[in-house]
Amino acid sequence: MSMLNLNLPTLASSLVKSGATTTATTTAQQCYVHPVVLFSILDHYLRRNENQERVIGTLMGVRSDDGRVVEIRSCFAVPHFETSDQVEVYVEHHQSMLALHKKASAREEIVGWYSTGSKLSKYAALIQDFYSREAAPFGAVHLLMDTDMTDGQLGVKCMQGSAIGAGAHPENCLFLPLPHELQYPDAELSALQTAADSVETEEGASVLVSDMEQLEKSIEELRAMLERVTTYVQDVCTGKSKANTVIGKYLMDMLAVVPKVDTKQFSTLFQSHLQDILMVAYLTNLTRAQLNIADRLQRIV
Amino acid sequence: MAGTTKQSKPMTALLNEQSELSAFDSSAIPKQLRSVLDVEKVSALTLVKVDPLAILKIVKHARESYPTSVNGQLLGLEVDGVLEVTNAFAVPTQPGSEEDMTNYQIEMIQCLREVNVDSSSVGWYQSTRLGDFMQQPLLDVQASYQISPNNSSVVLIHDTSKSEQAGNLSLRAFRLSQVYQDLAKNGKFTTKELADKGLTYGNILEELPIQVETSALSKVLLSELQWPTNAEQELLESLQRPSSFNSKLRAKRMADRSAISDDTESSDALDSNLSGLLPTRPTAYLSRPMCTNALDLSQSLNGSGSLSRQLEAISELIDDHIHDANQWMYWKRGEAKENNRRQQFVQRKATSNAARVARGEQPEPELSEKELDRMFKTLPEPSRLDALLNTANLNLLTKGVTQSRGPALTKMFMAQALQGSE
Repeated sequence: MSMLNLNLPTLASSLVKSGATTTATTTAQQCYVHPVVLFSILDHYLRRNENQERVIGTLMGVRSDDGRVVEIRSCFAVPHFETSDQVEVYVEHHQSMLALHKKASAREEIVGWYSTGSKLSKYAALIQDFYSREAAPFGAVHLLMDTDMTDGQLGVKCMQGSAIGAGAHPENCLFLPLPHELQYPDAELSALQTAADSVETEEGASVLVSDMEQLEKSIEELRAMLERVTTYVQDVCTGKSKANTVIGKYLMDMLAVVPKVDTKQFSTLFQSHLQDILMVAYLTNLTRAQLNIADRLQRIV
Repeated sequence: MAGTTKQSKPMTALLNEQSELSAFDSSAIPKQLRSVLDVEKVSALTLVKVDPLAILKIVKHARESYPTSVNGQLLGLEVDGVLEVTNAFAVPTQPGSEEDMTNYQIEMIQCLREVNVDSSSVGWYQSTRLGDFMQQPLLDVQASYQISPNNSSVVLIHDTSKSEQAGNLSLRAFRLSQVYQDLAKNGKFTTKELADKGLTYGNILEELPIQVETSALSKVLLSELQWPTNAEQELLESLQRPSSFNSKLRAKRMADRSAISDDTESSDALDSNLSGLLPTRPTAYLSRPMCTNALDLSQSLNGSGSLSRQLEAISELIDDHIHDANQWMYWKRGEAKENNRRQQFVQRKATSNAARVARGEQPEPELSEKELDRMFKTLPEPSRLDALLNTANLNLLTKGVTQSRGPALTKMFMAQALQGSE
């Protein structure tokens, strides 16, 4: 009877029990991806050489101390050459880009690698092994971006490699999925929002708008959201649509967050705040007018 | 164009067959990029198109090193007066020396070229903290980039805190104006020169409009992020988690209240209450990466913090401005006094000469201009450039504050409406 020796990732660091080389790997449980990484991968894919089907590159980021949470912050491309029977990764390019990257952001380290395509390449296991050695003592995370768009979407999958098979050969690797979450820091959110406006237009270009216009857009969005919620609630009340207790509780929680301030207190606060705003606006306008006048007087003199 | 193809043929005949250089075939280049080949052509820049990848890289780099300002290179191509920025990379903040910095940039560009990234530098970017970026080093670096006339390069200024608070990306593209460059060549910034050439504080940099252009795949990605296909299921799952919504906000409100203990303005108390009005990190519950910071009614920690800093900076700059004006007036008075003495001397000479002639003696020789200059020395006029930069910064800051008051006012009325009161 043949037996399969499966090494599943466990909470504690796991050691491969066999005579071959052992790498103590602490396995990741959750991974966060920054939007820069996704756009970078897409850009690399767009710029690939004519005969290439897929592209690969290195993922850089930070890890929590025990290696369980991985945050992928940036990436860079590594040229590689793949035929049906061999694969070649340009390691010197990888090393030099790594050195340059370290100079710019010292905190980041190699956390894994990415590739594009709908399924793993034949050589994914080998490349995974190479990156595991680079990212030692932690395991390497593999991010696969589905640029072929099966299922009609650009799927992003994160996975980890773990050894499988009777002996610890580098080609034997099972890729286990890893839960991932996209993380949007505030500043990037505003950039993404501006970029997202360009999706609507024909040429794919959107202009940068002033703060006031942005506020107007956000208020419109909020109004639309409130409309949707009120129609839903009314429908439920009249019985037109089914009630969902989860959503109902959530809405109740959300509305409870709106603070109720005593009306008199609110109106005094409102007035004083209003006066502050108007005063600041007046003074700054005055300063600007004075600068303008001073400048023109200088020129006459 | 035909000439170049004819020339390239004999050249490739000389080269080895196995060599990587292929015959230069201009028909392989798409029509819209033909103008790039013409190296002699100089077209004025009218527009800057930035790829979201470049923007995200700039934003990330600026955010990580906030509040120190950082800079880096922009890569792309200039086509017919439109500058397309396709990529950007960060430059380390503590380079060993000038050489290290240039080596780093050269190596980076070479590495990027291997993966087919545009390898021509089209400018640089800088992050700023309060919005007063008009400093001498910026002008010097930009001048070095703009040296050759067809070297079109811009500087992109990004304001991190403003992007975060207003929920609107703050990115501006500038070039040095021709007026400034002419004056900088001479290095003389006297009042007369400024008036002649017409250089004012608004004139030093000229701003270019920016457009964000996305490729088709990026559009797919963006719509993916906004409306993921299994949104409903994910949303229901996340809603079932026990009231993480409220506990998070309650914790935030506690933090807000303790942080404003040294602020005695009563309006801050109002704001801390309202800070719980909208979740600050909505993406776990909304399916789109919409930035709701524009709707964030709290002006306590972030808002008034930055406003008071801006006002402090403004008052300091006003002090400097007055100081500069006083310096200049002092010099002007000194010059006027010297001129006065000179006039008087000449007059006295003239009258004494007339008296001597009347007495029948020889008049003294007239003193020439040069000798007069030697006798009555005036200091050269101090350079007005610093004052000009100061004024420009002041203008930027005050404009920023004024512009931020509009949304602030609107948000206040929104809070009033939400209270449902009169």
